[in-house]
Amino acid sequence: MTSVVLEGYGLTKRFGPATALAGVGLAIGRGEAVAIMGPSGSGKSTLLHCLAGIMKPDEGEVRLLGQRVDTMGERERSALRRTRFGFVFQFGQLLPELPADENVALPLMLGGVSRRDAVRRAREWFGPLGLGGMEERRPGELSGGQAQRVAIARALVTRPAVVFADEPTGALDQTTGHDTMRLLVEATRGGDASLVVVTHDPQVARWCDRTVEVRDGRIMTGVGA
Amino acid sequence: MRAALGLGWRLLRAGGRKGLLGAALTALAVTVSTALLLFAVSANLAFEGRGDREAWRNPVPAQGRAVAVQSVRVDYVRDERITVVELAALEPGAPPPPGLDRFPAPGEVWLSPALAELARRLPADQLAGRFAGGRGGTVGDEALVHPGELVAVRGWAPDSPVLAGKGTDEPRGEVAPTRISDFTGEPTPDAQGYRILALIASVLMAVPLLVFGGAAARLTVARRDQRLAALRLVGATPGQVVAMTAAEAVITAFAGAVAGTLLYVLLIPPLTGIEIAGGSWFAADLWPGVPYTLAVLAAVPLLVGLSAVVGLRRVVVGPLGVAKRETPPGMRFVRVAVLLAVLAVVPTLSVGSGGGMIAVVLGLAFLSINLAGPWVVGLIGRITAGTARGPARLLAGRRLVDDPRAAWRTVSGVALTGFVAGFVVLLNPSADLLGEADASRLRLSVPAARADAVAAGARERLTAAGVRAGTEITGEGGEKVLVVALGGGRAAAPGKSGKGEKADTPVDALVDAPVDARVDAALVDRARTALDGLVPGRRATSTADDDRFGHVLIGDIGTGTIVVLTVSFLVAVVSAGITAVSSVLDRRQTYALLRLAGTPLQVLDRARRAETLIPLAVMGGGSIAVGLFCALPFAITGLDAGGLATLLACVLLGFAGVVGAGAASAPVLRSVTENPAPRPD
Repeated sequence: MTSVVLEGYGLTKRFGPATALAGVGLAIGRGEAVAIMGPSGSGKSTLLHCLAGIMKPDEGEVRLLGQRVDTMGERERSALRRTRFGFVFQFGQLLPELPADENVALPLMLGGVSRRDAVRRAREWFGPLGLGGMEERRPGELSGGQAQRVAIARALVTRPAVVFADEPTGALDQTTGHDTMRLLVEATRGGDASLVVVTHDPQVARWCDRTVEVRDGRIMTGVGA
Repeated sequence: MRAALGLGWRLLRAGGRKGLLGAALTALAVTVSTALLLFAVSANLAFEGRGDREAWRNPVPAQGRAVAVQSVRVDYVRDERITVVELAALEPGAPPPPGLDRFPAPGEVWLSPALAELARRLPADQLAGRFAGGRGGTVGDEALVHPGELVAVRGWAPDSPVLAGKGTDEPRGEVAPTRISDFTGEPTPDAQGYRILALIASVLMAVPLLVFGGAAARLTVARRDQRLAALRLVGATPGQVVAMTAAEAVITAFAGAVAGTLLYVLLIPPLTGIEIAGGSWFAADLWPGVPYTLAVLAAVPLLVGLSAVVGLRRVVVGPLGVAKRETPPGMRFVRVAVLLAVLAVVPTLSVGSGGGMIAVVLGLAFLSINLAGPWVVGLIGRITAGTARGPARLLAGRRLVDDPRAAWRTVSGVALTGFVAGFVVLLNPSADLLGEADASRLRLSVPAARADAVAAGARERLTAAGVRAGTEITGEGGEKVLVVALGGGRAAAPGKSGKGEKADTPVDALVDAPVDARVDAALVDRARTALDGLVPGRRATSTADDDRFGHVLIGDIGTGTIVVLTVSFLVAVVSAGITAVSSVLDRRQTYALLRLAGTPLQVLDRARRAETLIPLAVMGGGSIAVGLFCALPFAITGLDAGGLATLLACVLLGFAGVVGAGAASAPVLRSVTENPAPRPD
């Protein structure tokens, strides 16, 4: 494995009496694409949320390039998510009020980049992702696949270390889903970022370097692609 | 239809914790609206009631056989007005006047409770001496304008000089001896004037309330439109969607309307303390009665339901419009054109225009501001988004463009209050208009033939009462005026110092004395009491007495302004608070996603503030200007320092209220972004 970018040790997370994660450990290498698979309720999304600093594990550690994430306060984790992570989700990840290019530019603007530069840099992603001419369309005027590609551009525009994708093709038909995954993996690799994909679809997982399977809050296997 | 209604009820119940919170917010908005609407309705009925209770003192001359003679005189004590009704029966069995259980016999005096109490408390030579005679009883509430009103009813023989003669040029509030067939009377011009002012105040209060109620209804729709659009997509007919929405809105609004009625009942006791036209209110005045209450209870939910249905238009016409979040169609300029058309009518109005006409134009101006508001907000949004450099202003600007109606809902209350403030400050005359009247010179109309004898009698009475005063007869023709100039302190009793003729001090010498040191109220009341009955049917009054109604009216306009502005601000701030919380609930997924992507809460809060304050600044300022413009035809004076201070206070209160309301919704924002993991709801 190449150098580790993100790793979690002994991650445990409980929701009331239910244990979502029971001492999970996972390491993600630089530029690596990892699929996390498992049935509904297995804990795969919880694992992603813990790794991404969205929620704190009850036990265990998360480190990004050696730096503890799980001990950070909400403000620091927010800053980390804004600058070092990118996100692609199944539902509603675009702001309906903003046109596509401003949706992509928003993370840059939140990081202090001027609007003009942010939009210019955002638009650079539109051509490679097959979105040329759609810069000023609003999310409601895009197809599902186009909206996911805009979300991919937004996830990558800050040049993050890791991109997290939760069921990124869950709302798309098979052909569009494959196209989207191809673009996600290629663009992530092109940006020298790692990719963590949560999915229950083996066809999606096939695009990744390896697959880990989660059941009942535990990692069952680690399979190379 | 039954199934649709049932589904609507299920949607309401199954909305989850946040859905129920949204419904509760709608109900709260309707509660406040209903309570204030009942207040606006009651205020009109209360003034009508006052007018009716006072009507018997404004007699209509008998067309047929007269049963009594009635005159009304105005007297004063301690700057308070006393209404003295003089009555004489022309035949046995004359009906008793309102508030009395029988017709007063000659020589009998009936006093209102407040006057009786005052007569008991003050020295007899200052008040009670004026109402000598047998006490017939107490004037009942049904004959009084307000609980503290000072009213005396005196019985006389038909041939008494008090009820003789025909008055010419009667002072305000007085009525010359009139032969009457009953005590029906008619409302006084003052009462009618107050009713017009109350109607205008009600319009100023009610229109924002209706707008607010409509906004509350749309809150329900805003939360539900996604779900209802989904229902349309699976084949629900427009009628079914409308029925479901209406059912949900009406059920919520009815609960709010009932709560609002209870709230209003609880508010009645403190509201009775608002003093208008010289006094407070009977609790019964402010209870609108069962029919009006039922009408409000029925009308409010129906209006809310109707408003909700209108808000559903997009879902019903095209479900994908909501489901896909396409670019909303732009607002049409016709909205602004309507406002301009209404404003074009305003300069044609004048003080002489009917009260109803003024109320209609005001209401239309109000409604057209509400119509133009979203268009202007959309324009502001485009400018804000176009010039934004940071994410907060960009988000705010795009949000304004995306849903200008929602943004307008947040600021409309305060903007409409700006209109009210602009309108009323120009109509608030200053007491300076009346100047400083002279309370030290009492004037008494006297027949020219008896002028000298009356003057001598006056001097004698004043000296006996120990009042130092000078007298002078002025005027031409058959009626002359005895002027009594009062000086400070008590004159020495005649004979004791040999200077009892002090009462003959020339008027000019006393008049030249400094105004503020001239007299005190007790001295004036002793003089009035001493002069009472000197000329039958006449009271000694001063120019300060003449101005007293003006002072009361100016005070009342000030009180009315405060009441209207208080109601408007209450509506505005509650409206801003509710829409702010509702906006957070509606957009919780968006906020959660922004938080997930690392957006600091401060940026979200800044965006929300900009989204509110930018349109507020523009629309608030614009509404004040429109209000000032609408008031111009009726303006008595220009905008003075007091008016400017009121306007400034309104602007500050408006901004503070909206900022405060936004801040109050911050915990809700924190709550919905606490766990930013995305949910498909």
